[in-house]
Amino acid sequence: MDELKFRREAYENPNNHDDDFLSAMRSSDERQAFVKDLKRLDSQIESALKVDVPEGLEAKLLLNQQLHQHQVQRRKTGFTMALVASVAFVAGISFTLLRLGPVDLGQHALAHVYHEDMALISHDDVSFNTINTQLASLGTLANARFTEQPGQVLYSTYCDFQGVKSIHLVMQGAQGKVTLFIVPVEDRMILDEAFADNRYQGMGFAADNAYMLLVGEHHDDLNNIKEEIKQSFI
Amino acid sequence: MFGFKRNNLADSSVNNDMLSKQRRYDSLVRALHADLFRYAYWLCGDKHIAEDITQETFLRAWRSLESLKDDKAAKAWLITILRRENARRFERKQFDYSDVEQSELADNVSLSTEDNMEQYLVRRQIARLEIEYREPLILQVIGGFSGEEIADILQLNRNTVMTRLFRARNQLKELLDQEHTRGRSNG
Repeated sequence: MDELKFRREAYENPNNHDDDFLSAMRSSDERQAFVKDLKRLDSQIESALKVDVPEGLEAKLLLNQQLHQHQVQRRKTGFTMALVASVAFVAGISFTLLRLGPVDLGQHALAHVYHEDMALISHDDVSFNTINTQLASLGTLANARFTEQPGQVLYSTYCDFQGVKSIHLVMQGAQGKVTLFIVPVEDRMILDEAFADNRYQGMGFAADNAYMLLVGEHHDDLNNIKEEIKQSFI
Repeated sequence: MFGFKRNNLADSSVNNDMLSKQRRYDSLVRALHADLFRYAYWLCGDKHIAEDITQETFLRAWRSLESLKDDKAAKAWLITILRRENARRFERKQFDYSDVEQSELADNVSLSTEDNMEQYLVRRQIARLEIEYREPLILQVIGGFSGEEIADILQLNRNTVMTRLFRARNQLKELLDQEHTRGRSNG
């Protein structure tokens, strides 16, 4: 290795550990002193470069990141909250709309009869005055009432027709029990003149401002009771 | 119910990920913040700006910590981010300190301890070095990087890096020798 190359390499990196460089260095005392001098310069440079690090920089860096993380998380939580709120809102709206949808009274009446099978076992004797009281409490049917006892009434209660408060009566017909629903008229209701499934038959008619729905096992009973109600209900 | 349980598991594994990411970050900060700050200082010549750049660098590092595959490369990775942050400083805004002559920066170097006259002189001369000579020298001396690694970080070829290292030491040596003879003749 010639002198020029050696000096050049020494300047490039005095801590060079290449064999060529090391053996070139060892070949003369002068070269060793030269490298030693440069190493001294390097250590001077190193200690000069090591400026004081501001106190607490490490803690600041960690804190900064934590704050950043916190913000990101809050943003995420905000987004989640917004999402949950939207879902709840949509659910609320659709539930309301569902309740305002058209009501098929016939099908509902049948379903109600099946659902409230207790009603058909009951053997009370309800007077028409009690029924009138119930009718009066329905608000929209405050003026409707029975003028006389419409045959034997075995059961009477309030019930809910898709959000409309109605009256559920069970009456004794000649051949079996007949369920009568008195439902205040609402626009969204669809009244079927006649409806049926494998077990029950039903008929509906409008009286004043109420819909009457009759459900029973025998068609004759339905007709009889319909006539009775038409006479006694005003 | 199973869904709930699975959710819990997913949650805890996310937490674990977070935790290990946090630990990784913590150890990076601990091990490298001093080197990074010093590097920033010698790039910009101002302690406060250097601190800001270091903060930005580590925040950026946190955001993209997943992209650092090999922890051994962490230092070079962080320095690359830091150099980009420093460059961004000039894009963002023409701060008045960007016009400051490099030689004036030396005056910012405080003469804190009495036995450090020598160090003060060396610092002043390092600050006077052209940035393209100063940067590879810092990477070699503080960073402990090889010629190839420096070439990689600075995106230069190795020969250029070695030439610059040569010139950096050469200039420093000359400047310091001058300083000493001047000091001696003054004294």
